Parts: sequence; structure tokens; C-alpha cells
Amino acid sequence: MKLVDLPNNEWHAIKQLDGPEEDCRRLLDLGLTPGEEVAIVQIAPLGDPLVVSIRGTRIALRRREASWICVQ
Amino acid sequence: MCAVANKESNSIKAMVTVCLVGMPNAGKTTLMNSLTGSNFHTANYPGVTVSLSKGKSKASFGEQINIIDLPGVNSPFSPSQEEELSCQVLTGKHDQVRPDAFVLVVDASQIERHLKFASFAARQGKPFVIALTMQDLLERVGQSLDTEKLSQALKIPVIPIDPRTGEGAANLIAALHKIISEPLRTNSLESLSEEPIAAYNIIRKLLDEHKVITKTNPQLIRQQDSLTARIDEYVLHKFWGFPIFFIVLTLLFASIFWVAQPFMDGIDSGFKWLSDETLELLGDSVFVKFLAEGVIQGVGAVAVFFPQIVILFFLMTLLEDSGYLARGATLVDRPLALLGLHGRSFVPMLSGFACAIPAVMATRAIPSKKERLLTIWILPLMSCSARLPVYALLLAALFPAESSWKAGIVLTGIYFASLFLSSLIAGLVSRLIYRRRSLSMLAMELPAYRIPQWKPIAYLTWSRSGTYLKKAGGPIIVISAILWLLANFGLGSQQPTISPSNSTNKPGLVVKSELDNSFAAQIGKTLEPILLPMGVDWRVGVGLISAFAAREVFVSTMAIVFHVPGEDEEAQQQGLLEQMRSATISANGKPVFTTASVIGLVIYFFFSLQCLSTFAVVRRETNSWSIALVQLLFYTVLGYLLAVSTVQGLRATGIA
Repeated sequence: MKLVDLPNNEWHAIKQLDGPEEDCRRLLDLGLTPGEEVAIVQIAPLGDPLVVSIRGTRIALRRREASWICVQ
Repeated sequence: MCAVANKESNSIKAMVTVCLVGMPNAGKTTLMNSLTGSNFHTANYPGVTVSLSKGKSKASFGEQINIIDLPGVNSPFSPSQEEELSCQVLTGKHDQVRPDAFVLVVDASQIERHLKFASFAARQGKPFVIALTMQDLLERVGQSLDTEKLSQALKIPVIPIDPRTGEGAANLIAALHKIISEPLRTNSLESLSEEPIAAYNIIRKLLDEHKVITKTNPQLIRQQDSLTARIDEYVLHKFWGFPIFFIVLTLLFASIFWVAQPFMDGIDSGFKWLSDETLELLGDSVFVKFLAEGVIQGVGAVAVFFPQIVILFFLMTLLEDSGYLARGATLVDRPLALLGLHGRSFVPMLSGFACAIPAVMATRAIPSKKERLLTIWILPLMSCSARLPVYALLLAALFPAESSWKAGIVLTGIYFASLFLSSLIAGLVSRLIYRRRSLSMLAMELPAYRIPQWKPIAYLTWSRSGTYLKKAGGPIIVISAILWLLANFGLGSQQPTISPSNSTNKPGLVVKSELDNSFAAQIGKTLEPILLPMGVDWRVGVGLISAFAAREVFVSTMAIVFHVPGEDEEAQQQGLLEQMRSATISANGKPVFTTASVIGLVIYFFFSLQCLSTFAVVRRETNSWSIALVQLLFYTVLGYLLAVSTVQGLRATGIA
């Protein structure tokens, strides 16, 4: 399942990140690691970027970046 | 600046140097403030454009220490220019900033993520201690943290810092002295894997095993900060998000212009008075005239914008510290990305409406080089405040006093047009040069909303404004001095003769009687063939040349070339408008300021990069003469061509 296909505030554990290696590395560094619970908590008025909540913080991700996040 | 505390040279014990490092929003500036008691300044290191804060710890905290505040780092992988500098210092690759120890600033409410970054720092082998901040936010996320246990788990000294009072700073200094004299043999962070998944797992295991964190509110799941979530629901709301954004921006601009106005008037008349007095007291020698009109008025040209710059930086720092600026960048990321820009281009573009110079400097936070250059490229189009007096004069010449409301509407239109056209140019340039749409990342943390803290905001405002004065001030003063020389010396008269009647005039860049023979006039007359298509003569040309010092100098130059004596400003403005309306081009007898030529001038000022200080800052920030030169020529030629075609087009349709 892809995180971007889920409705807001639905929490799931991250399965893996499926995107360009270097970019995913940055997301991992930010704390978006497999096993962590993540949810979309807000969508910007124009539909992009999305705000995800992870490890007690909020991170704004472009839809393209968020689409790499696969959840269980 | 360098650490020279050699263990061997104990006889002369040099002061040790430490650096503050951490992720963005970790509270480094607040800590810097408590450690040094605001006694710090911005230091520039050769070879790097990023300026760092540097200061000495308060004497009351024991033996003093040099402290350098490094820019916050999100990730050491593919860093922005600011992040890169911090990483260089951390890994010991920076040849000038070589600290004896580090303070890792860790946000207690974001402990896992911040410890992950700390492990990167710990691997570099330098002594360090952890300063734990933001414990006040823990309550909001339903947690409490035991500092003792954290220290045991990490085998690293952890010093809690009270985020409001800065209490704990003295302990931090003591811990630093201790760690430098007896470095730790081992700690739990240095052995952490570079691989993020494993590193995060070990961090959580360490925290769990030592029971560092206790949940105080079992109802609160997933450590969500409910206050921040509630505010974001409005601020990023589908319908309310943009209206709130525009209200915030309107308030910001309104205060920049309205609150600053009385201060600007005061500074303006202060420098005029100083210049008058200098002439009166020291006599009319060439040197005194140079001092009064070239130098003092040049300093005045810089100082007059200082109130706007201070207010802009104050409000932006306030928005940044409260957490709103990151939301603003999120809102506009989508439209900006379509143009090849980045959400982080938003802050520089906003600053550009006050002055392009701090705006260009603010682009350092944009991670991708392409997007940073593109942002720098369009910044000169933002309608900066130096254009305002020029537009005011030209629009007053265009509309009679009784319909001045029309001028107001046109001015508003100019501001929107500058946003629209800069977007258009950004879009075109990014399509032409970069071809493919940029695939850069946003991945921007939205910090928890907090009540802003005044002391660090006041400090940051002051240091950012000071950087502007230093970077912009020098060039403007030098250029206005050169322009004064050009306007007052010429091949015909090696030395300007000053008739006694002139000395009672308002001092300005030039005095008319010498102007006809000056170098500036010669340049203006040489340029007349290319000025005539714009519908103006060499006198306006002199104004356009002097406007390269700063755009608003155009107004004072106009007052001098059209020779308007007058004691008070209003009479002078009225007199100037009358003179301008009746002025004719000597070559063909047509009036200089017609509807067409004034519109042409507005268009010229809209596009043209009439600001050598911007040129200087762009050169420094991009480290490239060619980018700065191409930009200068591009906008100036574009402005000229558009002005000429507008004037000719209007004339062809019967509007003179």
C-alpha cells in the first residue's frame, strides 16, 4: 500500500521507501524509517505538498516524495 | 578564530573555541544568547559566504570560551550551502574554523531524530557535550525526560538548558572545560551505524533500556503535538490557508512601509541637515563639497532604508521563530515548483520587496544549486523599496494631483506585475536552460508552534540588519562618491567653480551650472541617441546613470538637472513637477515628460537592474562574475527595449 493512497490521519507502519536512493536516504535521515508509524495529517490547499507526522514531528513532503513511502 | 589551544604550549594558554551544532529549530540561537549574553557578532570567514555568529561566553560562567554558532543541519547528505559549512567544520575539513569541542544542541521533544544527527557528529572524534533544549515542549507531546538517565545511556554529559531563562548555561561552560581537559574514552553514539535504519533502532533501544522517557499522558498517542495540529488545520486549510497567508503578507508589507516611513523621513532630513551644516561650517572647497554631497549623502542613501530593513528582518524572524514561515513556504511550494523554484525561494522573494541585497543573501538556505541560482536570477524584479520614490515621482508627473488615486491603483498594479512577470521569467528561464522539470526535494520539517522569544529575535534582527549594512553600505557609498566626481568634474572645467548663490541651494549630486560640462553630462549626451527613442534627453540620462548607485538617487538628480531651488520639500516637489512638465528636448523641441515617455520610464525602472550593490552581492554569492554581468545586462537591456517599444508603440497609436 502506498501512503499517498490512504485518507488523512490513518496510521500505518512504514514498510519501505521505494524511490531514488539518495533522496530516500534523506527521508530516512529525517526519521522516516521502516517500522515507524506514519500518517498524512494535512494536505496543502493546492493538493501538494502533504504534511506527514512521524516520530512526533511534522514534515512537509511533495507528493512525489510521499509516493515513495510504502506502508503495511 | 582558529583554535590554537595546543596542549604543549601551556605557558600561554589560549582561549578555547567551541561550536554549537544541531538540527534546524533545535534552539541554538536561544542558547547562544544565554551563553554570551548577546555579546556576539557576525563573523565572515574568507572563502565561505555564510556568515557565522561568534562570541565569548559570559565572564560570570567561569573561564571564558569562544563560541561559534553553526547553521542547522537536516542531513549531512546532499546538503545546502549552509549545511555544507557545518558539516565541513564537524568533519574537520574546514581550514579556518577548528573548534576544540562541540556543543550538540538536542531538542528534547525530537530526541530520536536529534540523537541520530548527534551520532554523525560523535563519529568525528572531537570532544562534545549535549545541551538539551525545548523541554517545555515535552509536556505538549505527553512525555517527560530524565536527563540523568539520558546521560547514562549515552555515556555523554547532558546539560539541560531552560528554554525560557537560559538557565544551565554556566553548567554547560563548566562541562565544556572538563571535556576538553579530559576527553571521554568512549560513548554510545560514536559506534552507531551510518545506516539510518540501524542507527534509529539502536537509539530507541538505548532510550528504552535506560527508561529515559516516561509517558505522562497515556491518551496522547504517537507523540502528536495537538496545539500545532490544531493551528495547522487553519493555516494549511483548503479554503482558509491562502486568505490567512495573504493577510499575514499584507500586514507584513503594510508595516514595512507605514511603520518605517517616519523613521525614514527623519533619517533623510538628518543627513540633509548634516550635509548642509558641513558645507556651511567648513566652507566651499572642492573637498568639503565632495564630503558633504558625495560621501555624507551616499551614507544617507544607505541609512534611509535601514528602518525598512530592520522592520522586515524583525517581522520575518518573528514569523520564523513562531513557526509560520515554514507553513508559508509549504503553501507556495506547488506554484513555485511549477516555475522551477522551491518552497524555500519564498523567503528571499519576500525580502526582495524591501531590498534585493538581503534577499540574495537569504537564498543560501535553498538546497539545490539550480533553484538557488534561478531564485537569485528573478530577485531583481521584485519591486524593492528604492523604486518607490521613483515611481512616486513619475506617477505624480503622469496624473494630476486631483486624481492621485489613479497613481495608487497603478502602483498596486506594479507590485502584482512584478510578482507575475518574475514568475513568467523564472518559468521561461527554467524551461530554456534546465529543460526538464526540477526533481529536487522539499522534505521540510514544520516546527512546533511556539511563543516567540524576544531576546534571540532582537539579536537575530540586529545581526541580519548589520550584515545588510556591511554588504550593501560599502558599494553604495563608493559608487555615489564616484558618481559625484563624474557629475562635478569635466574636461571643460577641472575644478568646479562655486558661485555664492549656489551654496544656499539644497545640496545634491550636482549643481546645474557645472553640470553641462561634467563627465556625467558628457556620458549623458553621448548616450542621447539611445535615449531619444525612449522619448527622453540627456538630462534624464544623467539621472539614469546616477540611479545605479541606488534607484532613488534618480529623484534627487532630477531635482538638480531641472534646477529646482526651494527650501521645503513640498514646494520642491511641486516645482520639480512643473519644471519637468515644461522641459523640452533641445534637439527637436518636444516635451521630455509625456504620457508615453513617463510610462516608458516606469517600465524601464521596473525591469532594469539599476543597482550596482545588487550586482556586487550577486557576484559574491554566486562566486561568478559572468552570472552577475549577464544578469545586469539582461535586465537593463530588457528594460530599455521594452521601454522603447512601449514609447514607440504608444506614439504610433497617437498617445504622445
